[in-house]
Amino acid sequence: MALTEQALAPADLQDPATFSQGVPHEAFAEMRARPTLSWTPPSGGDRTGFWSVTRHAPVSEVSRDTDLYSSAVGHIQIYDIDEDALSARASMIDLDPPVHTRLRRLVSSAFTPRHVQSYETAVRSRIAARLDALVRAGGGNWVEAVAAPIPIGVICDIMGVPESDHDYMIELTDHLVAGTSSKPLEPTAYGNTTDLRLLPFNSPAAHGINEYARALGERRRAEPADDLVTKLIEAEVDGERLTDAEFTNFFRLMVFAGNETTRASMAHLALLLMDFADQFEQLRSDPSLMDQAVEEVIRYSSPILYFRRTLTRDTVLQDTPLRAGDKVVMWYAAANFDEEVFDEPLRFDVTRPLRPPNTAFGGGGAHFCLGAPLARLELAVLIGAILSRGIDLRLAGDPVYVDSNFVNGIEHLEVEVR
Amino acid sequence: MSDDLVRVAVDEERCIGGGQCEMLEPEVFLLDEDEVISSVIGSGELPRPRADVVVHRCPGAAISIVEPQRPSE
Repeated sequence: MALTEQALAPADLQDPATFSQGVPHEAFAEMRARPTLSWTPPSGGDRTGFWSVTRHAPVSEVSRDTDLYSSAVGHIQIYDIDEDALSARASMIDLDPPVHTRLRRLVSSAFTPRHVQSYETAVRSRIAARLDALVRAGGGNWVEAVAAPIPIGVICDIMGVPESDHDYMIELTDHLVAGTSSKPLEPTAYGNTTDLRLLPFNSPAAHGINEYARALGERRRAEPADDLVTKLIEAEVDGERLTDAEFTNFFRLMVFAGNETTRASMAHLALLLMDFADQFEQLRSDPSLMDQAVEEVIRYSSPILYFRRTLTRDTVLQDTPLRAGDKVVMWYAAANFDEEVFDEPLRFDVTRPLRPPNTAFGGGGAHFCLGAPLARLELAVLIGAILSRGIDLRLAGDPVYVDSNFVNGIEHLEVEVR
Repeated sequence: MSDDLVRVAVDEERCIGGGQCEMLEPEVFLLDEDEVISSVIGSGELPRPRADVVVHRCPGAAISIVEPQRPSE
C-alpha cells in the first residue's frame, strides 16, 4: 500500500497531551470508522511507525495470536529500545509462550477467582478504613485518600511487603509512569547506578524497586513466609531458580500492575459516581447488578490505554497488509467504546451485558490480566462500601489526569463528601 | 439443539491457570493447586452454550470443544 493511501492517525498518539483530558474519544471514533488500520509515521528516535488497532474484534484477534503478534520481539510500548535494554527489563509481559506460560504459572494460583475470595476480609477492612477517614475529613484528594493506597496495600500484602513500606512502594511506583508524580527525579535518585536506558520507563525509581525487592528477597530466603516473594525466591522453572534479574523484574511487574491499574479505575469510579448518580442508585436498589456495574466501571475507565505487539510474519489485519517487524498497537481504550459491540458506548450503563467482554484486561489470550479477579473484587467491595455508607461525592476541583499515553490515570481529584 | 451436550478438553501446554473455567463450571474443571493447570474431571460434558462461554472466557485460549455428544433427553 502506498503511503499516500494510508489513513493517518488523526491525533498524535505518542504525545501524552493527547490524553490530558482522558481518552480521546473523537479521534478513536474516527479511526474505528475507517475500513483499515490507521498509520502513524516514525517520530523521535524510532526507525518505524506503527499501526493502530481501535476496533474490538481485531484487538481480540491480535491479543490471542501470540505466534504472529509477539510480545518478545521488540518492545511492548510504542517507542523502540535497544536489545540489551529489552532483555535487562524483561518480565513475563515481555515474553511469549511457552516461556511466558512457565513464568506465569509461578504466580497464577494466587490470583484465581477461587483464591482471591480469601483476600476479601482484608480488602474490606482496608477499604473501610480509607473511606471512614475520608468521611471524617469531609473530603480531600480522592486519589491520595482512596484510589492509591487501597490497591497497593492489597498487592503488597500478597507479595509480603510490610505495611510500614507501603508508602515507599506508592512513591516508587508513582515515578514509573511519567507524570503520576509531580516530582521529577535525578538520574541518581534512590541510589541509582544503572544506565537509565536499561530501566523500565527509563526511571531511577525502577532501580529503587529492584533494590527493595532484592533486600526483601534476602530476608525471605533467611526466613520464609506465606507470601509471593517467598514463592518466587523458592520457585524453580525447568529445574532452575529465577535469576536475580528475573526475580526483581517479576516483583516490579507485580507491584506496578497490581497497583497503577486498579488505582486508575478507582479514581475514575469517583467521577462516574458523580456523573452517573442514577446508575448507582439503580445498583443500590438492585445489588444483583454488581458484576455488571464493576465491568462497566472497568470498561469506562480503561486503565491501560494500549499495549504494542510486533509482527513475526507478513499478514493482513482489518484489510490492511502488514509486514514482519511492523508495530501493531492495541488501543484497549478505543476498543472499549466500539459502537459495533457496545450500544451507545459513551453511556455508562450498569445493566450492560457481560458479553462480549470489554478489553480493559486485554483482548484475551495468554497475556490476559493476571489480576483481573482481584481487581474485580476490590472494585466490588469499594462500590458496595460507598453505597452502603451513602457517601455522596461532590467535585471540588478539576481532575488532573496523569501525563501519559499508556496509563489512563488521574493524579489528583479533589472531592467533598456530603 | 441448544441442549446438545459437547465434550470439552484442556490443552495443558496453553493453560495459564487463570481459573475462569473452574469458577464457571466447577463440576467439570479442576485447577490443580500445585501445578496450577486446569484439567477436566468426570465426563467433561457440558451443554453447548455453557461450553462456548468457558471456551471464550479462557484467558489462555486453552479450552476446546472436542466432539459433539448425543443430544440430551
